Amino acid sequence: MTLPSRRPRSRSAYLGVFAASIVLTGCGGGLLSSGEEGGGSDEPIVLGMITPLSGSSAAIGPYMQNGAQLAIDEINADGGIDGRELELVVEDGACDPRTATAAANKLVTDGIDISIGGYCSGATLPTLPIFEKAGVPMIIPAANSTELVEQGLSNVFLINGTGTQQADAAVEYMTGQNATRVALVDDNTSYSTDIAERTAELLEEGSGPEVVLHESVTAGESDYSANVNAVVQSDPDFVYWTGYYQEGGLLVRQLRQAGYTGPIMVADGSVDQQLVEIAGPENAEGVFATMTQTPDTIPGAEDWIADYREKFDAEPGPYSTQSYDAVRVAAEAVREAGSTDTEDVIAALEGIDGLELFSGPLKFTEEHTLSSGGFLILSVQDGKFALEDALD
Amino acid sequence: MSQLIWNGLFVGSFYALVALGYSMVYGIIKLLNFAHGDIYMLGAFAGFAMLTMAGALATSAGFLALLVVLLIAMLATGTAGLILERVAYRPLRSAPRLSVLITAVGASFALEYGMRLVAGPNPEVYPVRLEGTTVHLLGARVTVQQLALVVIAVLLMLGLQWLIMGTGTGRAMRAIAQDPKASLYMGINVNAVIARTFFIGSALAGAAGVMAGAYYGKIDFLMGFIIGLKAFTAAVIGGIGNIKGAMLGGLVLGMLEAFGTAWLGGEWRDVFAFSFLILFLTLRPTGLLGERVTERV
Repeated sequence: MTLPSRRPRSRSAYLGVFAASIVLTGCGGGLLSSGEEGGGSDEPIVLGMITPLSGSSAAIGPYMQNGAQLAIDEINADGGIDGRELELVVEDGACDPRTATAAANKLVTDGIDISIGGYCSGATLPTLPIFEKAGVPMIIPAANSTELVEQGLSNVFLINGTGTQQADAAVEYMTGQNATRVALVDDNTSYSTDIAERTAELLEEGSGPEVVLHESVTAGESDYSANVNAVVQSDPDFVYWTGYYQEGGLLVRQLRQAGYTGPIMVADGSVDQQLVEIAGPENAEGVFATMTQTPDTIPGAEDWIADYREKFDAEPGPYSTQSYDAVRVAAEAVREAGSTDTEDVIAALEGIDGLELFSGPLKFTEEHTLSSGGFLILSVQDGKFALEDALD
Repeated sequence: MSQLIWNGLFVGSFYALVALGYSMVYGIIKLLNFAHGDIYMLGAFAGFAMLTMAGALATSAGFLALLVVLLIAMLATGTAGLILERVAYRPLRSAPRLSVLITAVGASFALEYGMRLVAGPNPEVYPVRLEGTTVHLLGARVTVQQLALVVIAVLLMLGLQWLIMGTGTGRAMRAIAQDPKASLYMGINVNAVIARTFFIGSALAGAAGVMAGAYYGKIDFLMGFIIGLKAFTAAVIGGIGNIKGAMLGGLVLGMLEAFGTAWLGGEWRDVFAFSFLILFLTLRPTGLLGERVTERV
């Protein structure tokens, strides 16, 4: 950690934060002194990750943590970055804005250099100003609401496709399937409404399918019969659910029970084996999904999957590859910048051109997002999500 | 229209089962037991554990196995209610009501995150699911398993009604609700009766938990939170402390939600439900069936 680099541009305004970090890291002793010596010390480079380890999306946390740890171990085995090892600090964000805010403050006082976390967009949004004030660059592996980059903060980078890009993919596929009446269902969170609204905009602009219903459900309940009833009443021939997998599973099941037989598509937050389990395999069969690359759909990822399996004795899941890549992007930026200085790292991130990620060669756009979302269409085949259409 | 009514009645019968426990406990010791929703969660997990252990046996026996599991789960959650009362509430019997209320919130978190430690944070899927054929009843799509669940809920409520109006324990419960001190002087073992109330209320919530698990299929450690709030709302609408009110309140809330969603859209469902909570609390705090209670000195 390098305190001088973390010093905010307007010192007086953020003196409180600064003072707090001195007080709180003071007991660590070594952290502070290393900062005074500058970036060239052999102190570890600390990467912080906020990911859901409890709450509704708790299943994702270990995937992300393991993915990041795998990359860190590989880089450290190669001698680290300029002799400095990487270190991972994980905090639970619980997919909850309040918990995530507390976690972000904790990571800042722990003195992390770069944040590589962020799964639920709604929980990641309030952490942006905290990391911004503390001068921590953020490489967000999973959260992808367009709202995250709309604030134009210089420290925020997304390496997952954005809501807009996902909506593009969704509309392209619906149109290709000759859908005419589309019902959109979201769960009122930032991530979910972002995709639903952008899909609605695209559909209204285009000459293809029309939006017959835009419905929101409340996450965390079991009975969606009222929503399902509204969907069935609107007589759609395509249903797009843009929320997470728990409600998704229930919704798919209840839609099928209510007699809806047409195609159902879900967004990337719903791509999890649990969706199939909850919906029941017979109901989930044939459900489409808009999704970025997962270990299963990436050609040539077999070695990576084998490494992951060997190390953690578990199967890699959604966002383990993106978290792995987030670490590699962070490492590349620090290596280029030659230090962990905020401005230098941001400049290095903006300058990255062609770093090979699972999603393809990386070059950030002006908005700090991927130039192409890399979304493809999966479908449930024999009870598992598998590639349906690469949308090339 | 008839579909909306049926949806409302079906969801409402779950609310009613959970609301009963809220209302009974409040009626007797004026405690809002915020851990009650988590007892429902506990019931769902108890059923899940038993069905998983029984394995193939449960799958082949189907509905019958579920009934047996339902009864055992009710015993288990009833016992959990007893323990909760003994550990968390009885020591605070003479403490200010606010302390007990805060303890209830604490107990709720303890149950939720205790279950998270035991069962993990991921949702679980019930090994035995109720799959039924669909029948059309007056224009509404009704599945046989929905009918079965509503029948079970009604039977449980009738049983409770008999217990309260027709047995000695019930009479003692009603007496304590009226005046705990006088009941003590009359030789009623107040602590034992309060414990029994917790047992009965928790058993009903546990039954609702197993039924929800078997019908919806997905259970997780936070599943009791929202239904706890909804059941509380149902109890207030019906008149908290009033048994028939809790049943009526549950059904009314289910209907309000079904119609509110149909008129205003799904995102308004909870806004609609909880506005009724506020409306009732301000305009008619005694609820639909509650009697005017004069403040005891």
